[in-house]
Amino acid sequence: MSRAVVGWTAAVAVWIAIATFPQWSREWESSRYATSVIRDILIFAIFAGSLDLLVGRAGLPSLGHAAFFGAGAYAAAIVGQRLATNELLVGLGAAALVAGLLAFVIGALAVRALGIFFLMLTLALAQMVYALAYQATELTGGSNGFAGVRRPSLFGIDLASAEALYLLVAVVFALVTLLLWRVTRSPYGRALTGIRENERRMRALGYDTRTLKLSVFVLAGALAGIAGALSAYAFRFVSPNDVALGTSVTGLVIVLVGGAGTLLGPLLGAAVVLFIERVLSSSIGFSQTVLGVVFILFVVFARQGLAGLIRRAAERVRT
Amino acid sequence: MTPELVLQQALNGISFGALLFVLAAGLSLIFGMMDVVNLAHGAFYMLGAYLALSVVRITGSFWVALVVVPLLLAALGLVVEPLLLRRLRGRHLDQVLVTIGLSLIIVDFIRLRDDWGWGGEVRSLAAPAGLDHSIAIAGSDYPLYRLFVIGFGLALALALGAIHRRTRLGALIRAGVGDAEMLSALGVNTDRLFAGTFAVGAALAGIAGVIAAPVFGLQPGMDVDALIFSLIVVVVGGLGSLGGAVAGSAVIGPADTFGTVLVPQFALALIFAIMALVLLFRPTGLLGRVRIGR
Repeated sequence: MSRAVVGWTAAVAVWIAIATFPQWSREWESSRYATSVIRDILIFAIFAGSLDLLVGRAGLPSLGHAAFFGAGAYAAAIVGQRLATNELLVGLGAAALVAGLLAFVIGALAVRALGIFFLMLTLALAQMVYALAYQATELTGGSNGFAGVRRPSLFGIDLASAEALYLLVAVVFALVTLLLWRVTRSPYGRALTGIRENERRMRALGYDTRTLKLSVFVLAGALAGIAGALSAYAFRFVSPNDVALGTSVTGLVIVLVGGAGTLLGPLLGAAVVLFIERVLSSSIGFSQTVLGVVFILFVVFARQGLAGLIRRAAERVRT
Repeated sequence: MTPELVLQQALNGISFGALLFVLAAGLSLIFGMMDVVNLAHGAFYMLGAYLALSVVRITGSFWVALVVVPLLLAALGLVVEPLLLRRLRGRHLDQVLVTIGLSLIIVDFIRLRDDWGWGGEVRSLAAPAGLDHSIAIAGSDYPLYRLFVIGFGLALALALGAIHRRTRLGALIRAGVGDAEMLSALGVNTDRLFAGTFAVGAALAGIAGVIAAPVFGLQPGMDVDALIFSLIVVVVGGLGSLGGAVAGSAVIGPADTFGTVLVPQFALALIFAIMALVLLFRPTGLLGRVRIGR
C-alpha cells in the first residue's frame, strides 16, 4: 500500500472512532461528560484550524481571532431569534457571512501591518469588537450574554439532542479539515506559504500579496465564525468572553502546542488545552498557570508542536 | 457642555494621557531595544497595582509603595529576561509568544492569592494622605490626586528625556535602539543591557500600576485594558521612541475621555478611526522611527 492510502485509511478510521464515541462509550459512567468535552475539543479544533491558516500557513500571527469566533456565535444566535428559524444552514451561513465581513474590515487594516505589528493590530481591533458586543445590550445581551440559543435542525431533521449535535460537530470538523487540506495543497496555499517564507520575493514574482493576505484572513474569519456558531448551538449560550482576548489566546496556544502549519495540530492542541482548561481545572485551582507553563515550554523547546514531535518520533522508528 | 465641564474633562483627559504615557514608555523602551512587544506588560501593570495594595497595607504608605513596587517589578524583569527571552534571541515572534504565557501565569497568580487580599474581587486603593481631597478649579471641585498624576507624568517624561539625551546609559540605549548588534560588536555587554532594559520596562509598568490604582481601582481584566491602551498609544505615537509615547498618549488620553463624554456610543469608533487614519497616512506612527505598515 502506498503511504497516501495508509494515511487516508488511518484518518477515516480515527474520524469514525471519534464520531461514534457516544455510541461505543455508552456503558461508561462518564460517557456524557466525555462526549461534551470531545465535542468542545472538535469545535476548538475547527477554530484553531482556521487560525492556523493565518499563523501556520501564511505566517500572519493573529491575536484577535476570537472576534470572528464570537461574531459567528452571536450571528447564529441572533439570526435564529430574529428570523424565528433554527434552520442549520441559515445559522451557519449567517455566521460565516458576518464573521467573513468583519474579517474583511479588520483585515483590510491589519494586513497593511508588518510582522509583530500585525499581532498588535489584530489584538487591538478585536478588543474593540469585544467592547462593541459588550455595549450592544439590545442585540447581544451585553455582559449577561445571549441565553436560550435554539439548537438547529437540518431539512426538518431535528439536531437538538446531545448525540445529534455531537455528530453535526464531528461532520463539520471533517468538512473543514478537508477544506483546509485542499487549500494548503492548492496553488493558492503554496502562494500563502511563499508569503510566509519571503513576502518580498513573492511580490517581486508578481503576486499581489496584500490581496492574498486579505483573502486568507477573510476565509479564516468565516471558518472561525462557523466554529463560533457551533459553540453557540452546543452551549445554547453566547458569552462576551467568546469575543474576548482569552479566546484568541486559547486559539493561539492550541495552534502552537498542536503544531503550526500541520493538519493534525489543531486537533491535538485542542485536546491538550481543553483537557487542562476543562478536566484539570476541576481538580486543581491553578490550571491557567499549567497552561502558561505548557505553552512556554512548547514555544521554547518544541516549536514544531505535538504534530512535529510525533512526526519526528515516527521517522526515528522507520529508520 | 459648560466651560467648567470642558475644563474638568480636559483635565481628566490629560491625566489619563499622563498615565498612558507612563504605561506606554515601558512597552516602547523594551520594543525599541529588543524588538519584542512585551504582551505581559498589562500583567506587569496589574501586578504592580496589587503589590501596591499589599505594600500600603503593610507599611501604611503610598510613597513607600511607589518606590518598592517598581523595584520588585524590576527584579522580576531581571529574572524573566535571562530565563525566557535570552534563549530565544533573534526569534522575535517566539519571544512575544513567551510573554503571552508569562501573562497567563502572572494573572492566575494574582487571582489565586486570596490570602494576600488579592483574588478575583474588585479592590480599591485610597489616594495618599494630602492628595485625597478635591480643590476648587474655576468654580468646581477637582480631585487633587488627578492633578498629581498629570505632574508625575510630566516629571517622568522630562526625567526620562534627560536620561535619554544626557547620560551614558541614555547613549547606550540610543545606540542599542539604533543597532544592538553593532553595539555588541563594539564590546558592550548586550546581555546585561537587554536584561536591564527589560527590568526598567517592567518597573515602568509597575509605576503605572501604582499610580493608576487610586484612580481606576483593581479588578480582573485590568491587565487586558492596560495592554490594549498601551498598544494603541504606541501604534498611534510610534514605537521605540520616547517622543512617540508622549505623542500617542497626548492624543489617545483626551480623545478617549472626550469621546466617552460626548459620544458614548462612538467613543470606541473614535479611537478606531484615529488608529486607522494614522496607519493609512503615517505608517510609522506620529513620531515613530519604525514603519508599522505599508
